[in-house]
Amino acid sequence: MTDTPPLDAPATPAAPPAPPPSTVKPVNCPNCGGTVDIRVAGTTVSVICSHCGSTLDATSPDLQVIAKADQALKTPEIPLGTRGVLKGKTWEVVGYQERTDEEVTWAEYLLFNPYEGYAFLVDDGRRFNLGFLLDKLPTSHWGLGLSVDGLNVSRFGDPYPVHTIFVVGEFYWRVQVGETVEETDYVTPGTMLACEDYQGERTWTRLDMLDWGEAEAAFGIAPRRKEYSHPAPHERSPFKAQLFEAWVIGLIAAVTLFVISGMAGSQQRIATSSIDAVLDGPEKTLVIKDVVLPPGRNRVEIDAEASSLDNSWVDLDYSLTDQKTQDSIDSYGTAEYYSGSDSDGPWTEGDRRPTTDFSSIPGGKYDVVVTVSAHKWNGAGASSSTPVTDTSLMGGHGFADGGWGSSSTGGVTVPVTVTVDRGGLFGGNVVLGLLLILIWPIIVLFRHLGFEKRRKAVLSSGSDDDDDDD
Amino acid sequence: MLRASCPNCGAPIAFRSADLPVKVCDYCHSAVLRTGGNLAAMGKVADVPDDVSPLQLGVHGRVGARSFDLIGRVRWRYDDGAWNEWLAYFDDGSTGWLGESMGRYMLLRQVDLSHVVSDVVKLLQSGFTVMPGTQAMIDNVEYWASDVKKVSCVASEGELPFNSLGLSAWSVDLMSADEHCASIQRAGDEDVEVYAGQYVSLADIAATGLREFEGWPMPAYKA
Repeated sequence: MTDTPPLDAPATPAAPPAPPPSTVKPVNCPNCGGTVDIRVAGTTVSVICSHCGSTLDATSPDLQVIAKADQALKTPEIPLGTRGVLKGKTWEVVGYQERTDEEVTWAEYLLFNPYEGYAFLVDDGRRFNLGFLLDKLPTSHWGLGLSVDGLNVSRFGDPYPVHTIFVVGEFYWRVQVGETVEETDYVTPGTMLACEDYQGERTWTRLDMLDWGEAEAAFGIAPRRKEYSHPAPHERSPFKAQLFEAWVIGLIAAVTLFVISGMAGSQQRIATSSIDAVLDGPEKTLVIKDVVLPPGRNRVEIDAEASSLDNSWVDLDYSLTDQKTQDSIDSYGTAEYYSGSDSDGPWTEGDRRPTTDFSSIPGGKYDVVVTVSAHKWNGAGASSSTPVTDTSLMGGHGFADGGWGSSSTGGVTVPVTVTVDRGGLFGGNVVLGLLLILIWPIIVLFRHLGFEKRRKAVLSSGSDDDDDDD
Repeated sequence: MLRASCPNCGAPIAFRSADLPVKVCDYCHSAVLRTGGNLAAMGKVADVPDDVSPLQLGVHGRVGARSFDLIGRVRWRYDDGAWNEWLAYFDDGSTGWLGESMGRYMLLRQVDLSHVVSDVVKLLQSGFTVMPGTQAMIDNVEYWASDVKKVSCVASEGELPFNSLGLSAWSVDLMSADEHCASIQRAGDEDVEVYAGQYVSLADIAATGLREFEGWPMPAYKA
């Protein structure tokens, strides 16, 4: 110990009022004579001289040389001895190693604080992770999953060899270049559990991914550029928060859209009228007078219905004429229905109830003129499920009345009902608005899914249970 | 508290515990053995190295309702490193060990063998080696052997329950699925001894009286 405590001192000797000792002890490398700073005397086992690269045995009093070397060493991006504050704790870089799994190479800094012990700072070239050795064993939870500290992680890929290819500084274990361990990774977004097997011994390290720029700021190096093309297996999707945001905003917007479209008013029926068209007969005209539209721009919908059509069609020409200005707006519709059978079996086609929309009609009083002409169709394979009453085939006998009226012209009549509605919204516009609103959430969703897919992609040829959707 | 003089150098020495037979003289590093009222110098003990440990004799800590002082220390070596075991003297007169290895701390107390169900005990007792992964039930907590090594005592200071001079042992570290940890040892031909407890941080034990280091802020743990 230190000084002589006075006789009447309590049994616990008080710390002498000398300046506190430094944690750094300079010694001379027995190989090259250069000064080597021992930063964790007593716990450090291996020291790699930063001048000549020799591996020294820190457990021997004279720093025995374990492996001689004479090579110019590279300097780690964060130099040995650098101190930085991470998560509120000060750490000093005491060791540095580079490791590879034969696909990628990464760097691991060994950090030390005399009151906190050791930590690892792992740099994969993109992002930094802060790691701690686990002092408890993970418990298996289901399948290939593990659980530790209330965190569930699942196995990522297969075990793979990890080689140490460069070391400098000091370590609390016997470290050497060329040493190979078998690593198995378990991940959950934000955290990786790395299991290392080496000569019958197994160690578990928990790695928590740091925010962009966090480690760089702590240790005074240039910040890394954000890029998400090759995420780490345990990287949190940067789009996840956005995704939530985008969908919340999108849904609010969609609800708003529906509320507004509801407020735009439901449709109002203005007029309805019927007329009998004659198949292959002359055109007929139906006039609906005094259709009043309120000031402003109006949407007008004209529906026609000819439910008795069979292998025939009705052309409908619409004309809205402003009584005051005599301006007219024209449009048309077709009601049609065909059926038959071919090699594929029976078929039907056509719409007996066409809808025609007019948008932005100025307010005023209008006359709606509907011109109808009905036509029969005699296509190949056409069949009439209901006999088309053609008097020429009927031997002059008409139906008494089976829903088929006989007009004075002797042709078959087709009843057509025309209704005029005002207001409401174009469904198409609502759908379009909805699509526009959802574009951003959908883009973010695809980005997120893409990120997750890249995150889960295993680089090595090992099989992967997580995704095999290629 | 028993006060006496070192039989080797005459410097005052004090025994805090009546149950601990050995005290390493702070001045001449003789191991002084107390049998009844007699003190005998047993030989020089290697001085503990000046390591970067925040612990020192006199550190005060607390675990649950009990507080303790560190009054002794043994330093163990093995092929791939070394660690410290600090003797914790509790306010009820009992003792435990605060192990300090690779920057981690384990607070352990001896467990009676009747509370232990494990092949590790049998294997060590019969002189066989233990494989990592071997199971143990200690006080109904499940453990697995994580590390097995031959260790020897290289230095000591303060008061100790045994004479550490030239002591060597087989030491088995055990881990659990939570904070529990254990150590099973057999020194020479002695009986197997089992120690169990938990991993702790200096904050967990609200350590005070820690060593200061230049340039490192001293943590202030709230007891």
